[in-house]
Amino acid sequence: MLKINNLKKSFGGIIATDNVNLELEKQTINAIIGPNGAGKTTLFNLITGKLKTDSGSIFIENSEITNLDETETTHIGIARAFQITNIFPNLTVYESIKLALLSKINGLNNMWTRFKDHKVNSDADDIMKLAGLIKSKNSVSSELSHGDQKLLDIALALCLKPKLLLLDEPTAGMGPEERWKMIDRIKELWKKTKITILFIEHDMDIVFGIAQKIFVLQQGAILAEGNPQDIKKNQKVIKAYLGGGKK
Amino acid sequence: MIAFFKKDTFFRDACLALFSWISLVIIFFVIPDPGIHDIIQKVFILGLFALSLNILIGYLGLIAFGHAAFFAAGAYTLGLFLQSDFIKIYNFGAFSIPVAIILSICVSAILATFIGSICIRLKDIYFSFLTLAFQMVLYSIILALVDITGGDQGLMGGFSKPPFLGIDLSKPFDFYAFTIFISIFVILMLRQIIESPFGYGLRMIRDNAERPAALGFNNQNHKLIAFIIAGSIAGLAGSLQALLDVGAYPEWAFWAKSAEPLFMILLGGMNTFLGPLMGALIFEILNDFVTANTKYYGLVLGLVILSFVLGLKQGLLDWIVMKFKESKNNNAQN
Amino acid sequence: MEFAAFLECLTSASCIISQTAGGLKIGMLLFLVASGLTLVFGVLGVINFAHGALYMLGAYFSWQVMNVTGHFGLSVFLGALGVSIVGLLFERGLLNRVYNAELLIQILLCYSIVLILDDLVMIIWGDEFLSSIGVPEIFQVPPLFVLDAVIPPFHLAIIGISLLLALSLWLLMTKTRFGHLVRAAAVNPKMLEALGINTTVIRASVFVLGSFLAGLGGALASSIGSVVSGMGNSILVESFIVTVIGGMGSIGGAFLASIIIGMSRSFGAVAMPLFTDGIMFLIMVLVLILRPQGLMGDKK
Repeated sequence: MLKINNLKKSFGGIIATDNVNLELEKQTINAIIGPNGAGKTTLFNLITGKLKTDSGSIFIENSEITNLDETETTHIGIARAFQITNIFPNLTVYESIKLALLSKINGLNNMWTRFKDHKVNSDADDIMKLAGLIKSKNSVSSELSHGDQKLLDIALALCLKPKLLLLDEPTAGMGPEERWKMIDRIKELWKKTKITILFIEHDMDIVFGIAQKIFVLQQGAILAEGNPQDIKKNQKVIKAYLGGGKK
Repeated sequence: MIAFFKKDTFFRDACLALFSWISLVIIFFVIPDPGIHDIIQKVFILGLFALSLNILIGYLGLIAFGHAAFFAAGAYTLGLFLQSDFIKIYNFGAFSIPVAIILSICVSAILATFIGSICIRLKDIYFSFLTLAFQMVLYSIILALVDITGGDQGLMGGFSKPPFLGIDLSKPFDFYAFTIFISIFVILMLRQIIESPFGYGLRMIRDNAERPAALGFNNQNHKLIAFIIAGSIAGLAGSLQALLDVGAYPEWAFWAKSAEPLFMILLGGMNTFLGPLMGALIFEILNDFVTANTKYYGLVLGLVILSFVLGLKQGLLDWIVMKFKESKNNNAQN
Repeated sequence: MEFAAFLECLTSASCIISQTAGGLKIGMLLFLVASGLTLVFGVLGVINFAHGALYMLGAYFSWQVMNVTGHFGLSVFLGALGVSIVGLLFERGLLNRVYNAELLIQILLCYSIVLILDDLVMIIWGDEFLSSIGVPEIFQVPPLFVLDAVIPPFHLAIIGISLLLALSLWLLMTKTRFGHLVRAAAVNPKMLEALGINTTVIRASVFVLGSFLAGLGGALASSIGSVVSGMGNSILVESFIVTVIGGMGSIGGAFLASIIIGMSRSFGAVAMPLFTDGIMFLIMVLVLILRPQGLMGDKK
């Protein structure tokens, strides 16, 4: 449902995205792996519109979204969670989710009602349950644990009811146990919502454990793609990346 | 009954507002000291000014250095209008003052739209400096157009305050009750705006300026509307001040005037809705008390601000609310 | 708008020369002060709103020394030195507590010091204007006449001193180890810490240098004008304008901007006497809109 054709992006003389071609099937979980600096986050930025492409095109379910800006891509159905948690420190979990939900339906121009009374309750509860945050509903975001903050980041993205969810290193900064909890949660979420997921990840066990298709990025270009079995056996990948051991 | 007061609704706020106004009116008779009445009036006028700035500072996270531009614009608009021939030509007669006030708000709003749309494109300190630069350009214009504005002497010649709707603003009680009524009414409206989805949108931008775009939200429009509201309320405050002083002065457009609401926000607190109003109260009382006893007002004010910045590290109302919540938590744990 | 007067001036060699000299004098003195402000911002990341108050102290200190010794050079030097000490105390005692606090807190801290100092100088030296310490004896000579333009020689001395200082500052920043360390600290303090270099000392030194410049500016100002409480406030605002127009953190930019502002004030006083300040602020508005990083600042 996501199709990227010949995408290119450079910064000054440095090629960040080198003729990338990529296709995702609907309702699948996919992973992008690659060493630091391979251009993974840049690719996300190009898809969501945070960065403009130099050339190439991007399609979602056959409609072109190349160079739409960040706000526009959210309306098309792309949502994204960030590598460095990007939440609202002084607002509670519930308030943040509510804001995201209201934002989608343009409800934030309303000056006549009280925010606290606003009816998005059941939607908010569903999303908080999906993200496992229902217990922390009224906690102030800055006081959440690192893991919960990352979950909140994902929950905010889910508020957009997206078709494609981009997760940038969802387990970054977590210990081994927490990582698996996060991945289980993502898997559960995927089963319940049936959205297409593309995530960036460094932990190979996780990637091989959950992804249906893997794309290997190196120096801005796709080195290899395929299911976990194929990638494990791919000589190029082993030489360039896996041989160095797990991150 | 307690439950009614705890529930955060417009109706409750309106009742509190009405109750406050009635109490203040009663105070007028119970304490017949004109000095006290003066302080109370000034607290509300400056409080409006500070509350309007806090929309930007406390709720949007935008530190505007040039907010007094709108205060001055409102004041001069009212003064110039009431002195002008418009009144005679169009025979507003009984409605001169309401029309003047509304006109002041409109002029401030238009100025805020112009200045705001340019300033909100910049971030952080550049935003702050640009608002200041615009204010000082306005100040220079006021000084330069001597024939119209009276230049550095201020608007001279005064103006009359014709009665309207049975209210005669030349009578102390009428002025007192009217000013406080308007102020409380606007504060009530502001409370509604701040507690509405729009208001929470402001907090969202303050907490994280980049994220809203990734949620499909347009920051800039929101910021501009908030800026215009803030400017309009400041203009209203300015027009009330002009009515009080029967004139307008260029000092109100000088950068030092923009520092006053900043102090009030610091003293009272930027994180509670009425913090700036409490700040205005502290500021006025300090002003009155200090100038009565010594001429070194700057020294005292400077020391007070320093102690708040280094000591309390937050405004008084913020601190009170924090202590209150802490004791509630302690009680809950016991 | 005095267009007639302005055109008349532009067509008169003497007017152009005298206004240019005047503009350079204003500009160079302003550069002295503004360079301190922009330097502090570039390295410490703090906008020192008390900078104008330090300038004022420079004027008062030098007046005091003149009152006691009658020696011009000593007055100016000790005046600036005294302010450096005050600056050090301020930075170590108060400012360092708010380095990581919000901008608003930093501003309010600095401004509270301004309020306190403005009254303190009145308590110590009285409310009245203090008369200028006067020009040193060597310069108590008849003015120069260049093509009928009247130029006080001392003004040329001020321009000269400021240029000398600008050059010294440039050499300090680019050719010495201290300068390299300072510029490195501005960009990546953590890296320096990791290399075992004490950035606290660097920060304090830069602040002392900035204070010295402000104090020197004030001391020189006391020789060509009177000394009064609050005299730092207008130079503070002008320093902001220069810093913004030149580029925050750029000394070269401050130099260029100071000249622009100096000239706009000098010629502006002829063309638009009631709107002279307004011209400066309009330039600031234009720069912020068209090139917010300033003429020589780094783009974000």
